[in-house]
Amino acid sequence: MAGIRTEAVVLRSVDFAESDRIVHLLVPDTGRLTAIAKGARRSVRRFPGTLDLFNHLRVQLQTRRSGAMARLEQATLIESFTPLRHETRRFAIACYLLEVLDRLAPEAGARDDMRRLFRFALAALRAAATRKPDARLRVLIELRALEALGLRPELRRCVRCAAELGGAAQVDFHVADGGTLCGRCAAPLDGLLRVHVGTLRALEQGLRFDFEHLDRLVLGPVALAESRQLVGRFQRFHVGVDLRSERFLNEMLPA
Amino acid sequence: MRTSPPIERLVAGLKRLPGIGEKSATRLAFHLLGAPDATVRELSDAIGRLKQDTVLCEECFDLTDASPCALCRDPKRDSQAVCVVEEPADLAAIERSRRFHGRYHVLGGALSPIDGVGPGDLRIAELEERVRGGGVREVILATNPNAEGDATAHYICDRLQPSGVGLSRIAYGMPLGGDLEYADHVTIGLSLDNRQKVG
Repeated sequence: MAGIRTEAVVLRSVDFAESDRIVHLLVPDTGRLTAIAKGARRSVRRFPGTLDLFNHLRVQLQTRRSGAMARLEQATLIESFTPLRHETRRFAIACYLLEVLDRLAPEAGARDDMRRLFRFALAALRAAATRKPDARLRVLIELRALEALGLRPELRRCVRCAAELGGAAQVDFHVADGGTLCGRCAAPLDGLLRVHVGTLRALEQGLRFDFEHLDRLVLGPVALAESRQLVGRFQRFHVGVDLRSERFLNEMLPA
Repeated sequence: MRTSPPIERLVAGLKRLPGIGEKSATRLAFHLLGAPDATVRELSDAIGRLKQDTVLCEECFDLTDASPCALCRDPKRDSQAVCVVEEPADLAAIERSRRFHGRYHVLGGALSPIDGVGPGDLRIAELEERVRGGGVREVILATNPNAEGDATAHYICDRLQPSGVGLSRIAYGMPLGGDLEYADHVTIGLSLDNRQKVG
């Protein structure tokens, strides 16, 4: 058995048997892992108020053979992102983020990618806890989560022939191809999404800005509606699973 | 190990219970086989009658043998104070404290978007109806002090605030017999925020 000390974010926490808890964690070096915390519901010393959703922890784990569940020995709280529990829209955005990460984060990804993903998870939770919890924040967190998981849509060139998009005010976005298309490539295709170039530029900015500077990003009503449609359809097609938390998110932040 | 079909049937049934694996189920089955007939019959009757004799209280949604339940029928209890809990087991825990003498409302869970549980899956509309019906002075939100429980309490608070009913949340703080050295900084902070005057 190998012992690991690392930071972690709690993605999911499920009661198991009499007093244990199974937690899904996102860790900086390897991505997602599942661990059992024996006696967690009884112990006030090893896991004091720690194994709760959203929590950023310092943990001590024992890993066994590959594929077996790790054993969580100890956890201390670094940050709890408390406002996520006290505002229903923040809670809805953060639960959606956790579900995306829990379903899509790899279990043994490349170290640099996983570190980037971990940094994104902390920054996105902080943004959900502190920024205005509106439709703009929702769409940007959705988009950036997809990017952090390696599913960034192409927003500047034709995804088929790599041609620069011309000076048109609107272009076509093809969900299955994962990006924008030039007029020639778009011509024979069905099911295209027509979007304003201004919307695409705003989304590109949204991918570039730090979460602390998101307030600078302006998304008017048309750009916001187009962004939600584009990101939503892209996510549903490429993620390929129905996210359970999306229903609640739609209820709390309706279009 | 090969066992007879009746034992296999019982082991298969017991294995479906939470926290019971093959080994525990087999041990229980052999224990029952060696137990007096009357004990086995009593257990079998209790299991058989469990579903047919248990109903939901039409007022508080606790599990009971008659609706309204004994707590809702008790004229000595304060009908103007309603304590909101997630599950019947939470109601039983509060009753054990003997500090609350009002009525209850069992939600049937907490908001858990990741598990697909939204407001429509809980008895929040029924709580709103109860408050709208009048006669409620205070609603005490006693959902669990975890992310889902807190979010549920805040959601209910937002829904009930326009009614003007008094709303309170159970306090956060250090558990009795706890140890400051091992407590997380959020709990310690909340204990200080919610400190009480002494003397």
